[in-house]
Amino acid sequence: MNVRSHVAMMFHLDKCIGCHTCSIACKNIWTDRKGTEYMWWNNVETKPGTGYPTKWEDQSKYSGGWEVKDDKLKLKSTDKHKVITNIFHHPNQPSMDDYYEPWTYDYQNLFNAPEGPDQPTARPISMVTGKPMNVEAGPNWDDDLGGSPIYAANDPNLKNLTEEQKLQLFSVEQLVFFYFPRICNHCMNPSCVAACPSGALYKRGEDGIVLLDQKRCRGWRFCVPACPYKKVYYNWSTGKSEKCILCYPRLETGQAPACFHSCVGRIRYFGELLYDADKIEAMAKLPDEELINAQREMILDPFDPHVISEARRNGIPDDVIEYAQKSPVYKFVKVWKMALPPHIEFRTFPMLFYVPPMAPVMAMRKDDKLTSVSDNLFHDIEDARVPLQFLGNLFGAGQTGKVVYALKKQKAVRTYRRAVTVGDIDMATAEQMLREADCSVAEAEEIYKLTSLCTFEERFVIPPMHREMAMEGTTDPMFRKQEAGFGFMAGPKRSV
Amino acid sequence: MRRIILSVTVALVAGIAGNVTAQDTATYFKQNCVSCHTIGGGRLTGPDLKGVTQRKDRDWLQAFILNPQSKITAGDPYALKLVEEARGVVMPPAPGISAERAGLLLDLIEAESALEVSQFRGVQVSSAPFTPVDVERGLALFRGTQPLKNGGPACISCHSAAGVGGLGGGKLAPDLMRVYERLQGRAGLSAWLAAPGTVTMRAVYEKHPLDEKEIHSLVAFFEKQSMAGTQRVAASQLNFLLCGLGGAVLGLVLLDTIWRGRLRGVRRSLTQEQSSRGKS
Repeated sequence: MNVRSHVAMMFHLDKCIGCHTCSIACKNIWTDRKGTEYMWWNNVETKPGTGYPTKWEDQSKYSGGWEVKDDKLKLKSTDKHKVITNIFHHPNQPSMDDYYEPWTYDYQNLFNAPEGPDQPTARPISMVTGKPMNVEAGPNWDDDLGGSPIYAANDPNLKNLTEEQKLQLFSVEQLVFFYFPRICNHCMNPSCVAACPSGALYKRGEDGIVLLDQKRCRGWRFCVPACPYKKVYYNWSTGKSEKCILCYPRLETGQAPACFHSCVGRIRYFGELLYDADKIEAMAKLPDEELINAQREMILDPFDPHVISEARRNGIPDDVIEYAQKSPVYKFVKVWKMALPPHIEFRTFPMLFYVPPMAPVMAMRKDDKLTSVSDNLFHDIEDARVPLQFLGNLFGAGQTGKVVYALKKQKAVRTYRRAVTVGDIDMATAEQMLREADCSVAEAEEIYKLTSLCTFEERFVIPPMHREMAMEGTTDPMFRKQEAGFGFMAGPKRSV
Repeated sequence: MRRIILSVTVALVAGIAGNVTAQDTATYFKQNCVSCHTIGGGRLTGPDLKGVTQRKDRDWLQAFILNPQSKITAGDPYALKLVEEARGVVMPPAPGISAERAGLLLDLIEAESALEVSQFRGVQVSSAPFTPVDVERGLALFRGTQPLKNGGPACISCHSAAGVGGLGGGKLAPDLMRVYERLQGRAGLSAWLAAPGTVTMRAVYEKHPLDEKEIHSLVAFFEKQSMAGTQRVAASQLNFLLCGLGGAVLGLVLLDTIWRGRLRGVRRSLTQEQSSRGKS
């Protein structure tokens, strides 16, 4: 067992209101420089929709993530001989058009335009070329189903939905969408790190944050197609790539990352997880439908004495283990099994988990009257407006079982709380629902508290970062790695 | 010791260089002079050299052989007259010429002039009119469809001429469309082909000389070209350009086919698909 500590995240999609405050907080802190205009380390997508960059989930186009070939885990985009043939141009690179051409407006024209019959306008000016341009796409171009016949209709998660379900999803009275905020997942098994020919991308050993060394980056851009979530961006001005750093300077001073801190809906949870790094390779080779369980198995119980002793042996300080025990992410992911990783079939094992959103039941027009299929607006999961298969494609590697479990538990807790506070539901029915949802009353109370009444400190359990123990202050970790080598495979016979 | 070796080497080199015999001079004359000059065979590009030593004094001749251009630049009237007679062709300086060798050459010319029939009388060309068969054969030799007897490369590998094919011939050496006039007819051209005067051609054909019959056919071919008076057709250049363009297009199509599965932008294809669906 090789116990590692990892800072992990959980987004409660049922609470997200799609206000983009997180994106703006991030933008203002990190990506307001030249060359980073198009970078949205944090973005909020509308689902169904094609997201940013367009159709990032479609790996038949972008070849991101891992695949199992000949019982080996291989990068889809960059196996060894492709590194040579693609070194100067990677064919699966998203183009600027798949993101958007960043622009500003010629505001001066509003003041300086010569007198004429027309009102002067501020024309859009490209921030890349500095010339006037026609805006054809932008970040959140398909926000709130904008342009849905083009964008939402091409959502890769609509795969395996029946024509009827698709039709229902897009007919006017039944329209439904939810928000899907995304940042770098700081994956357990990051494909961007594996793809980098310069060794510039690395996963910080002590907390698992995936970082990109600006000094080592040579701008080969192999990370961009390799990341299946398209969360590494190429800076066209500096010629180097950049990505979300999970606000590590804030974490090191005990503050939550900016997007977490600014979240209006309080959907974001931050906590630490202990995991077994020895199992990653074997687990990543399992079939799609077993991956969620595999990841849950890799996440270790921080209360288990054996895990604690192994963690200590690996140099994890006691107070960090203590914080792992308090982690809200651990509860949502492993104990309550309500939070699911996005697209785990990419096999990078994201460390950002989502509680799937609830949706009202389907309604349809009958004799010019809108009638719901069920009287209980939020009750019947199978009749929800968002087809289960859609959520399954997004969070369940194509399977709906885990999504149904998570939704059932959410609804049971909601019904139980309604029985407690409003009383219009029979408590016996509520308890029956809880039993069906594999949830005890105590657990329901705890879920309710952590979902609805959670304080700042309960949502963001930031472990001490122990920078005083980090070697970066005095030694370059890369040099240290080169100097130390791999150590002896077997002990030398004579003393050295 | 080192000085001895050096002096011996110098002496040896000087000995080899200085050991020019009458036989060598004849060979030298054959290799370097006969393409333009005869002795008693009439003028080719350059004048007939029979009795040249009587026409002009040896010192002048020697100086002219060593550096023909300087005499002309100096405005020597006799030299200018020679240039005029040769229709502007200036005698090129012979490779490896020296004052000593020039003297020996003049000796050789003097001796040969005295003979009834010189060995450098030039190629005897029959004045019989060329038959179409000759012309046909000349073209075949030029194009290399009929190989040269002594294994020399066909003309087309470096030269071009009219009627040798859509793409013309080689572009390394001059176009031979007007060569018949340039070398002043049958005699001059035959003499040139028997012993080519340029460094490049000499190197190639020294060991693989042209056969007399081959020369006859080639001259026939060149004469025909000259008589026809065809202008340098732009067609071959156009064909060349078109072939280049065609090849480029073919290559691009091939590359496009090989990499047809490549990523060509995701968003734009979505919007285009939608707008085309909207129209139909």
